[in-house]
Amino acid sequence: MTCEETKRLFADYWSQSLSAEDEIALEEHLGGCDACRTESDRLGALWNDLTRLPVEEPGPSLRTRFYDLLRGAGSHPAPARKPQMIWRIAAGVALLIGGGLAGYSLRPQDPELGQLRKEVSSMRQLVALSLLQQQSASERLRGVSWAYRAEPTDSEVLGKLLEAVNGDPNVNVRLAAVDALHAFGSSTAARSKVLGSLEMQDAPLVQVAIIDLLVDLKERDAEPELRRLAGNVSADAGVRQRAQWALERLE
Amino acid sequence: MRKTILIATGLSALAWAQEPEKITMPFSNPAAPHKVNVDVFSGSVTVKGYEGKDVLVEYSGGGFPGPRRRAQEPAPTGMHRIGGNRAFDVSESSNTVTVKAGGPWGSDVTIQTAVDTSVTVTTLNGRQISIDNISGEIEANNTNGTVNITNASGAVVAHSMNGRVVASLNRVPPDKMMSFSTMNGTVDVTLPADAKATFKMRADNGDIFSDFDVKLEAQSAPQVVEEKDRKGNTRRRVRTDGTQTGSINGGGPEMQFTTFNGRIVIHKK
Amino acid sequence: MARVGAGELSKLAVLFERHHRALFRYFVSMTRSRELAEDLVQDVFFRMLRYRTSYDPERPFTAWMYQIARNASLDQAQKRGAEVVGIEEFLDRRAEPVSPAPGPEERASRGQSLALLRRALDRLPEEKREILVLARFQGMKYEDIADVLGCETATVKVRVYRAMRALEQIYFALEKEKAS
Repeated sequence: MTCEETKRLFADYWSQSLSAEDEIALEEHLGGCDACRTESDRLGALWNDLTRLPVEEPGPSLRTRFYDLLRGAGSHPAPARKPQMIWRIAAGVALLIGGGLAGYSLRPQDPELGQLRKEVSSMRQLVALSLLQQQSASERLRGVSWAYRAEPTDSEVLGKLLEAVNGDPNVNVRLAAVDALHAFGSSTAARSKVLGSLEMQDAPLVQVAIIDLLVDLKERDAEPELRRLAGNVSADAGVRQRAQWALERLE
Repeated sequence: MRKTILIATGLSALAWAQEPEKITMPFSNPAAPHKVNVDVFSGSVTVKGYEGKDVLVEYSGGGFPGPRRRAQEPAPTGMHRIGGNRAFDVSESSNTVTVKAGGPWGSDVTIQTAVDTSVTVTTLNGRQISIDNISGEIEANNTNGTVNITNASGAVVAHSMNGRVVASLNRVPPDKMMSFSTMNGTVDVTLPADAKATFKMRADNGDIFSDFDVKLEAQSAPQVVEEKDRKGNTRRRVRTDGTQTGSINGGGPEMQFTTFNGRIVIHKK
Repeated sequence: MARVGAGELSKLAVLFERHHRALFRYFVSMTRSRELAEDLVQDVFFRMLRYRTSYDPERPFTAWMYQIARNASLDQAQKRGAEVVGIEEFLDRRAEPVSPAPGPEERASRGQSLALLRRALDRLPEEKREILVLARFQGMKYEDIADVLGCETATVKVRVYRAMRALEQIYFALEKEKAS
């Protein structure tokens, strides 16, 4: 094998994609050719070093911008107030996405609309679930606000919201999650889980919020736990007061 | 002669603290997003944004158990004070600098970091958390004590169980949600006069004040409630069930304000 | 213009989660600007949505994606009037490194040489840098790279070898510059 032919095999050699016989031939040549062997060593070392370079990670705004775009594409015309969002996107593209769905709103009798609604809600679910896993508390707050708009029968979102109430490290996120749970009142499974959340919650603000939720859901099964809280001298005074009030409301 | 043992492994330094300890910790890649996480068992935390790239951490622990402000007696010649159970640890990994200060008798941690750092501060029995001049994301959690945030330009999520939550923002990012909450205390937030935002406000036992022109949405009907106060007397209170929603300057990203015992005040800058 | 169904939007979201980091790194290596890289990632996803009908399921997905990425990058570069630097001119170029050299001098000498390697990579002419980024950082197979670049697989391998040689030259020149 000539030096020329050997060099052509280097790329495969470094990426370990050489065939067995090519590899033998290459190593044979390197054994006898100093110039090629030193080059192989030096460049091979450099090739390895390349992966040691620190890896660039995108900032959180990359994801935010992308999901804002999807949200704009998937949302129905705003009913009451419209949150102002700044789009860093060429107007032309916004039209491309928005213009497509404007067509739907003009024909509410369209049978495809039901299907579209289902798909939009599954997309919302996707966004909510993705945001809820973020490291940043502010992003998780947004995840909860997306979950707010999910279908009341969406068990995956419900599960994630309950997880957030029970385990999110940030009290504010837990509060927001309790708020979002109001939409799931019709599900009996949800209500017993909410009661379970009250039992394991330790942040007073969140306890108060859950108690309010249980009253809203008219959950009579909560009475034993509420009685326990109201009578527990080591519980927060505000929580006890609210538990007492809740017992009166539920009668 | 006894010597203090300072164990430094690579980028982590575990110090049996004397006073005051100063540590400089660089980020692996200052050009990429970077974070500072502070976890303090008891004591106050101050974080300030500055022009440098590295994280400067200054730690001064109290001495042996006793009155906090007792003056430290000078160490005898040739001797070093050996700290008790005051673990103080600063480490860096994947562009996050973590500062941990344990120890039950209070420590004061002062941190300087680049203005665009994202900062998370949690204290268990903390006194005050102060964060100034940060444009990254701020997360502050205090248990017994005030949270005081000034000159913030990024998203703020702040909570204290017993204490005031005070925040002053130089700008409201258009695409971030914020939340301010406390069980017992005032929530006091200052925003630029032209800020666009949507408020969700809830003060169970307190009023809501603002010098902004807040457009309120219709809320659920208030109810009259009879409660027993601490002395066992019955009193009547008008209770608005749930949250009030309003917007300023046409509305914008959502901000949540929650307090159980206390008021909410939203200032115009 | 064909209407955009939400089912397709959720598929796009899945693709985003899978690929946006790698795409971002590719653009950072090519443009040496994090901000530009972010804009370009957005751009690529728009284009993937817009040209979704042009995707041939027989081809590997990443090949299609990187082809779009290159087009997006070229369009951007044209707008900015960027130049491609020949290897002989690199010494005159004041290229801005994306990651500055690591701080304290006490850092291991390996840390310093990595910073130097980064700068050498940044100073490679664009085509040479790109082929190394695709092969080494994106971990693409040579056949797929050939697909993206529109050339023969054998050509890709030769170009990889030449790019490594060029990289080494620049690296040593930078080292000498530092020492002097």
